[in-house]
Amino acid sequence: MKAVILAAGEGMRLRPLTVSEPKVMIPVANRPILEYVVEALVKNDVEDIVMVVGYRKERIMSHFEDGRKFGAKIEYVVQEKQLGNAHALACARDRVSGEFLVLPGDNIVDAQAIGDLLRAGKCQTALVAESENPSKYGVVTIEKESIRGVVEKPHEMISNIVLTGVYCLCDKIFRHIDANVAQGEYGLSNAVNASLSERPVTPIFSTGLWIDAVYPWDLLELNAAALEHLPARTSGKIEPQVQIHGPVGIGDETVIRSGTTIYGPVLIGDGCEIGPNVTIFPSTSIGNSVLVEPFTMVKNSIVMSNCSIGAHSYLSHCVLGYGTRSQSHLMAPGAESYVNISDEFFKVPHIGSIVGEDTTFGTGVVVEPGTVVGAGCKVSSGAKIIRNLPNRSLVT
Amino acid sequence: MCGIVGYAGQRRAQPILVDSLKRLEYRGYDSAGIAVVGKGLQVFKSEGEIAVLERDMPEMEGSLGIAHTRWATQGRPTTENAHPFQDCTGKLAIVHNGIISNFMDLRESLEAAGHRFTSETDTEVFAHLVESELRGDLMEAVQRAVARVEGTYAFAVVAEGGEEVVATRLESPLVVGLGNGENFVASDVTALLKHTNRMLYIEDGEVVRVTKDSVRIVDASGREVTREPQKVMWSLEDAEKGGYPHFMLKEIFEQPSAIHDSLLGRVETLDAEPFFAGSAFSNVKIVACGTSYHAGLVGKYIIEELAKIPTTVQISSEYRYSSVSRESPLMVLITQSGETLDTMAAAREARKRGNKTVAIANVMGSAITREVDHVIYTRAGPEIGVAATKTFVTQLVALYILAMDLGSQNRTLSALAKRAAIGQLRSLPRAVQDVLNKAPEIEALARKYHAARDMFFIGRNINYPVALEGALKTKEISYIHAEGYPAGELKHGPLALISKDSPVVAIAVRDHTYDKMLGNIGEVSARGSPVIAIGFEGDTELAKFADDVVYIREIPPLFSPVPVIVALQLFSYYLARERGCPIDKPRNIAKTVTVD
Repeated sequence: MKAVILAAGEGMRLRPLTVSEPKVMIPVANRPILEYVVEALVKNDVEDIVMVVGYRKERIMSHFEDGRKFGAKIEYVVQEKQLGNAHALACARDRVSGEFLVLPGDNIVDAQAIGDLLRAGKCQTALVAESENPSKYGVVTIEKESIRGVVEKPHEMISNIVLTGVYCLCDKIFRHIDANVAQGEYGLSNAVNASLSERPVTPIFSTGLWIDAVYPWDLLELNAAALEHLPARTSGKIEPQVQIHGPVGIGDETVIRSGTTIYGPVLIGDGCEIGPNVTIFPSTSIGNSVLVEPFTMVKNSIVMSNCSIGAHSYLSHCVLGYGTRSQSHLMAPGAESYVNISDEFFKVPHIGSIVGEDTTFGTGVVVEPGTVVGAGCKVSSGAKIIRNLPNRSLVT
Repeated sequence: MCGIVGYAGQRRAQPILVDSLKRLEYRGYDSAGIAVVGKGLQVFKSEGEIAVLERDMPEMEGSLGIAHTRWATQGRPTTENAHPFQDCTGKLAIVHNGIISNFMDLRESLEAAGHRFTSETDTEVFAHLVESELRGDLMEAVQRAVARVEGTYAFAVVAEGGEEVVATRLESPLVVGLGNGENFVASDVTALLKHTNRMLYIEDGEVVRVTKDSVRIVDASGREVTREPQKVMWSLEDAEKGGYPHFMLKEIFEQPSAIHDSLLGRVETLDAEPFFAGSAFSNVKIVACGTSYHAGLVGKYIIEELAKIPTTVQISSEYRYSSVSRESPLMVLITQSGETLDTMAAAREARKRGNKTVAIANVMGSAITREVDHVIYTRAGPEIGVAATKTFVTQLVALYILAMDLGSQNRTLSALAKRAAIGQLRSLPRAVQDVLNKAPEIEALARKYHAARDMFFIGRNINYPVALEGALKTKEISYIHAEGYPAGELKHGPLALISKDSPVVAIAVRDHTYDKMLGNIGEVSARGSPVIAIGFEGDTELAKFADDVVYIREIPPLFSPVPVIVALQLFSYYLARERGCPIDKPRNIAKTVTVD
């Protein structure tokens, strides 16, 4: 069976992390979210994959190429304008016939969940899950083991069973999509809802994993979950007097300098220089070619490739985008805070700062917990950042 | 420049040969041909791309054969001049990459002996030569035949009723791929990676006999040679387009990761090992061709800045015949393929002159790597697009690394300054990504200017060679007549050519020549030329002078060539696409030039 992965959207709620890549390519445990989806499919012998790409598609294509590196055969379809997931699926209509799987590229699903869907052996099934936050999703009502109706993002409590966006559908769905799109309705769950009158959709509950990352702090949770299964593999050069506890992955040509202590699970990519005398706590992922200078402490954070963190810094519960560079004494602690995402405030139990790519900090900068610093900002020495900064801000 | 492949095994040879040939298409593509030994010797040739051959050829049975893709150097690109060539009896078929320089003499003596020729090519001579030397054993006949040939070559020969491909080389590349119950020969490992990654590199003058289950190599004097196979790490998927419309665009977008790979393990801020411990050089000479030559020109500025060593740059074909100077420079030879004929010859010449040599090459184990004292691999991965992109950028990375090494050894580059330079190198992938994010803007500019007939690229200092490279990219793939000049030279001639129909691309990053560049931009826009400037973000001044500006992120000028050239690569790519040019296979140009 073929699978269609919808990977065209930007993922606006993850801004500023999406400046040069779509949400599906954001690294979790140093691998793009989308790679987990592809891996779960391949484990179920679903190797023919159509990816619908759009926003910053080159990042996806350059990573996956024709899929052979991942044991898959990947073809690409471009959705020129990101009009919604039903429209995205319709872009792939020439590449599928009969039954096929549909998956969102920006949720992590594991092989078990996809396997449960496939084992149901029916056309028109939908992977559903219980959610603490059903109002963010399409909520389903179930009757006699089939879905009776879908309500998109309901304001009142209907049920806590939501659509995960993973389906096994058949090509008749395109008729409903066309009809909906003609009326300006681009959501896939609406098209599925419209098709219920003709063909039933069986809800599939799975013991497998499904995690949706909507907001930046979700990434930290995903990262921690992915690091749980970290196979310890250390390469590179580890100097004497380095302490390593628990599962720690260290990439090729990385140097861990003397006096450094790492408590796993921690993953460090290729070509990094860490230390001397750095401390890294769980659950942290550090990308490729990252420099961490002496006496710095990093805790439960994602530090993407090409970052450089100066001496005597403290980072907790942070996401640093690609190429973030700071001189010494960057203070970015984590705490319970209210985070402003697209003018909406969210209470997050423990969050540090979210920093967009290529932002530079002078020495002695303090970033308050829960602050979102845009991409390409230049923050001068001694500044204290207490609220969100748009991209390319200059702080003097 | 041509590509050859051969197969001896148990499967049908025809589809394997054609598929392998397609992977050599970058080496030339004006005609192609195939010979398969089954019931008799079947030969088919056609003019044009390999796709034409594939469409028109009849089914051929047999599991032994050779094939060829040609780029005409002698004789027109016609079916008659396509390979394989046969002898008078029609029982031999041969393919050839290279040039037989004494072919006129050989042809006269063979004609005198009664051989009849059907083409204008030098290659056909070899078919008749083998025929005249054939007394039973094909390998021995080839050994005797090559002894009479002068020039550069890689040959592969099959005979009716035989079970082997016999091949030989001199200065043209040849590799044997080892399979299970089957073996291959080819000009380049990329042709064979689908089938095997175990390779035997054939050395100059050796003759090899390949059957389905054996490989026998003898050297020029007839002695047996034993050689260990080498494992090639490139996988075939590296050579697929993966969603991109062209290899060139794919390769442009691969540059951030190519730079990362190229730097990996080489730019530790502390205790990196030097390349040439203890050697002090009073001068450096860089020798290269084409795009690699432009990298060398940028390298001159890099080495002079970071190591303060006077550096000269010369085109390989010129260096070969230059006179020996009194100085003994460090010789830096730059070639993507590692098999560029002129650069190879330059390496040998440099060694003869007793100079220390270092090669900057992309292809592991390629010919030049065996000719020099030290190799810096660019690690860009296979580059299929004929227009060099990621290999140019990684050549620059290699030059930065080399310059830092020279500078720290002769103590002109302090440890602190080196650390700063390393920081800049490490952030280059980000600077390139930033330009790639601007691809849609650059695409819009290309739409605006694609109808131009002439274009000028100007720059100063380290960005002068970048202007040359931008012009080269533009002319080779979009066929727009493009010239690169040092901006200061405009008034010494080129200004006469400037008109409102000839856009000028001006590299105007804020360095010590910036004010002068603004003056030059004023000069050309006063004559009505539209100006497309490349400058640093936040430079509002530039927008007043230029019609269009591509902004790149500010970076120390010494490192600006990397993001600037990426912007120009994208510009030339989109120009070519707007003009409907065959981007990955421009007319008359082959990627690797292994002939004179």
